[in-house]
Amino acid sequence: MTSRIVRLFVILFSCGSLSAQMPEVVFMPHWLPQAQFAGYYVAQEKGFYEEAGIKVKIVHPSASIMPTESLLSGKVDVISLFLVTAMTTVGNGAEMVNIAQMSQNSALLFVTKKSKNIKTIQELSGKKIGIWKSGFDEIPKSLVNSLNIKVTWVPILSSINMFMLDGVDAMTVMWYNEYDQIINAGYNSEELNTFFFSRHGCNMPEDGLYCLKNTYNTRKQDLRKFAEASLKGWEYAETHPEETIEIVLEVMKKNHIPTNYAHQQWMLEKVLELMKPPLEKGNKGYLSEITYEKAAKKLLSNGFLKSITPYSEFFKPVLSFKNDDQ
Amino acid sequence: MSIVNKFKQSLSARIVTYVLTLCILLFVLSLSGFYFFSKHRIEEMTYRNAEILTENTVMQTEAILAPIMKIADNYKWMITRMINHPDTFMDLTRQIVAQNPEIIGSAIAFTPNYFKDKGLYFSPYSYRDGDSIRSIQLGNENYEYFVMDWYQIPMSIQQPYWSEPYYDEGGGNALMTTYSVPVYLDSNGKEIIVAILTMDLPLDRFTEMVSSLKILETGYASVLSRNGTFVTHPNKELIMNQTIFSYAKEKNNPELREIGRDMQRNKSGFVSSTLDGIERVMYYAPLPSSNWTLAVLFPKSEMYLPLRSISIILLIVIIIGLGLLTVIIARIITRQLSPLHHFATSARDVAKGNFNIILPDIHTQDEMRELHDAFEYMQHNLVHYIQTLKDTTSAKEKIESELRIAREIQMGMIPKTFPPFPSRKEIEQFAVLIPAKEVGGDLYDYFIHEEKLYFIIGDVSGKGIPASLLMAVTRSLFRTVSLHYNTAAEIMAGLNRSLSENNESNMFVTLFLGLLDLRTGMLEYCNAGHNPPLLIEKTSSYFSVIPNLPLGLYEDFEFKQQSYQLNAGSTLFLYTDGITEAENGEQVLYGEERLLAFLSEKEFATPQLLIEGVLEDVTHHVAHAPQSDDMTMLAITFVGGQEKYEKSITLINEIQQIPILYEFIEGVGHDLGLEDALVLKLNLALEEAVSNVILYAYPKEPGKKIVVSVSLKGSDLIFTVTDSGIPFDPTLSENPNLELSAEERPIGGLGIYLIKQIMNEVTYSRIHDINIFTMKKKI
Repeated sequence: MTSRIVRLFVILFSCGSLSAQMPEVVFMPHWLPQAQFAGYYVAQEKGFYEEAGIKVKIVHPSASIMPTESLLSGKVDVISLFLVTAMTTVGNGAEMVNIAQMSQNSALLFVTKKSKNIKTIQELSGKKIGIWKSGFDEIPKSLVNSLNIKVTWVPILSSINMFMLDGVDAMTVMWYNEYDQIINAGYNSEELNTFFFSRHGCNMPEDGLYCLKNTYNTRKQDLRKFAEASLKGWEYAETHPEETIEIVLEVMKKNHIPTNYAHQQWMLEKVLELMKPPLEKGNKGYLSEITYEKAAKKLLSNGFLKSITPYSEFFKPVLSFKNDDQ
Repeated sequence: MSIVNKFKQSLSARIVTYVLTLCILLFVLSLSGFYFFSKHRIEEMTYRNAEILTENTVMQTEAILAPIMKIADNYKWMITRMINHPDTFMDLTRQIVAQNPEIIGSAIAFTPNYFKDKGLYFSPYSYRDGDSIRSIQLGNENYEYFVMDWYQIPMSIQQPYWSEPYYDEGGGNALMTTYSVPVYLDSNGKEIIVAILTMDLPLDRFTEMVSSLKILETGYASVLSRNGTFVTHPNKELIMNQTIFSYAKEKNNPELREIGRDMQRNKSGFVSSTLDGIERVMYYAPLPSSNWTLAVLFPKSEMYLPLRSISIILLIVIIIGLGLLTVIIARIITRQLSPLHHFATSARDVAKGNFNIILPDIHTQDEMRELHDAFEYMQHNLVHYIQTLKDTTSAKEKIESELRIAREIQMGMIPKTFPPFPSRKEIEQFAVLIPAKEVGGDLYDYFIHEEKLYFIIGDVSGKGIPASLLMAVTRSLFRTVSLHYNTAAEIMAGLNRSLSENNESNMFVTLFLGLLDLRTGMLEYCNAGHNPPLLIEKTSSYFSVIPNLPLGLYEDFEFKQQSYQLNAGSTLFLYTDGITEAENGEQVLYGEERLLAFLSEKEFATPQLLIEGVLEDVTHHVAHAPQSDDMTMLAITFVGGQEKYEKSITLINEIQQIPILYEFIEGVGHDLGLEDALVLKLNLALEEAVSNVILYAYPKEPGKKIVVSVSLKGSDLIFTVTDSGIPFDPTLSENPNLELSAEERPIGGLGIYLIKQIMNEVTYSRIHDINIFTMKKKI
């Protein structure tokens, strides 16, 4: 503990003068602090950003402050967003580009209690499915559409209580988050049926880093430094999970967000898995054109997109990759 | 002195040890009984206590939660009554907050667009802000309450709903819960939900109540929400952060997860589980209104803390008590037993002959007094007894000396010189009499009269002096009566008559009487109830006898006698029942069979060896058992009646004596009816032997004696020439050289040769300066 305080002081004072000269990057993850963003907190805490020569400020969204709005209004430099959310936002005319695709896989799934007797995804037909009110609904809805079944979507703010109390028959959950919350509320995995989107032709990558086109054009170096240092943070998180979880818990505590070690451990583990490229030789932070096209077509066919923004317009990588022909 | 020695030697140490051991045993038993019983009781009581405490707390918390439900029910009704006056609802919410101090906020959230003119979100809400109450419309674009749990869940499940606890909007640490009830309205005969009535309840009073609960030292209570979230817990870190399930996962405690699941099923009960390395007991029960769970936990070990301290105190008391007990008992016993030591000393003094020692003073009236009196009595009596003993002993000594004399006299009557008749080569005999007491009733006797051996062996009924007297009488009678009668039966009848006369004391004698003709070996015998003797020839067997009756019973009894021709070398073995009835320690008799077997197996050269052999075997059988009866044995070997011939002549060392020798030899030949030719040869041999002595034994010593004797033993005619001249062994002479003339041969050589030719065996011996030259000739 003492050493951490000492380090904080060192960072504050030694960098105090330096940071004044360092370019600042304000980053807003698209949700409240949790292990989903562990890499950024680790990079911040371990000083990877300073090492890279940038000063990073992490701010979090709230009920009234949303990431996209914050980015568009210029309050923040970089945000993280779901790929499809970003695509629809860009499709609606936002001047926003993807500078690194951190998540490579889909963490989405429908979960039902076995007692509901829903054994196949088709059997969701006519059922009430809980879904986040705050977005991320494009892919679940696309998936259901592609199955040619009708369901009743029940918007839910964020808790699992509707699911727990049978207010809904199924719920859209994140593998790394709500699914574990259900487990931590007393349901055993063998009492639940899961339908992973990735196994139903919807393995859409999720979290990516976005900035304004203008920012990309003017501050490419700073963005590259940010993305590289963030990746370094993620790599550190992978090799030092316990320390990472402690860092995450500390951040969450500061933000008065209730949580616990077990849940954040689960989340970190799963998020790290999701970051692994589906192909062995894939690069971290890369968004392949095929993936992009696939997602775009899905959104287009389900009416979430009116037209497809060219891949090269959408993905403006700041990282350098092993081979660019992926 | 070592403890062990002290223990062995000190009665008081032993008693103290026994008492102490017993006490310790009793204490250990009762203490462990107490401990286990109390442990069980304490467990029971603590469990019961925990259960009661939990149930009470459940009731108290319910007292907080349940009224809210009642209030909500009341207002629900009012909403339906006032449904056509939407503008009154804000006042209603104010009224709810104002009239119910425990409620800090209340909303009536209508379904979207319920009132056409009130917009999408019609939701009057009043809340306490310090002392005042504020009222607002809760819903707007930024607060779409339709997706909130408090609205959505009761709407979906169509039931009242206690929300999961949450932190107050204000950001403070105040925990809140919201109770939501759906408000139904009849719409075309169908009950539909038109609004959700909520009441916000701070949980501070609730958590305080639960947190203040104490069980034992560190026991505590905790409330968990429906999802298992910790609502109260001494560890603040857990509150709202952890569920029992995440905690179970973190602590890797699957058991705890199962407990959590049981709680969700509204179960209640005791469980014990290891939490944070301490075994804890938990009692949990549901809060019926909210489906939350109240759990009371305490470390199992704490249950036993009071018991442990009581036990330790008890143990210390017992140890001190035992210590005191040991000291006191030791003192008491030592004091009580101290006279014993004096008595021991007194007894030792008395044993030394000091009868007048002073006994220790005993003032009690107990066993020690009894011992003292008994000791005193013994002391007095001993003096008297010792005097009596002295008198008796001297009297006894006198009797014993008289008995000794009597024994000597009795033994004097019994012939004890062996061989008794050294000149009688026809028989060899030996006898023993071993009395059981100083004087015995057994007897044996024999004498030779007119070439006949008269012998008896007998046993007088009874023992001791009377028996010995009768034995003496019998023996005397035998000596006198025998000479007056000719046959054994007559002698026996004579003895019987004499013994029967005036036999007041009804004593009797068993007797075996034998008359052995020494010349012929004819044995005439009569048995008066005595053990049949054994005849030892090539094989041994009991002698066939007519038992008749013992002597002294019937005066006129007619005794029957028998006869038997003894072969030369046969032995007659007579004995009394002291031999066959000799008992060993196991009361097993020596027996006639063993006697017969013993004598059949062994061969003995002389009667003496025979008797000694039997005696040894009997002694071996009896081992250390005392002798109960006189033991008498008599063995007679009949060597042979032929050796009745014996003759000798004494010559002097003059050659003129040779004719006398001739005459002597011829006389022998005549006596034995030998053939003339043999007599001539014997003459030749003896002349050579005698003339050798005459010529060389006494050089220049005239008038010296030469004894020539002859005897017949079986078919051997034995000549002996004895002289006391110079030692000379004629048998050592070389056979003569017959080629040489008589003059040329060395002296004597031819003579010996001649003797050897004639006789069957020639031996020489020199005993006590006497040359004995023996020649044996079979005839």
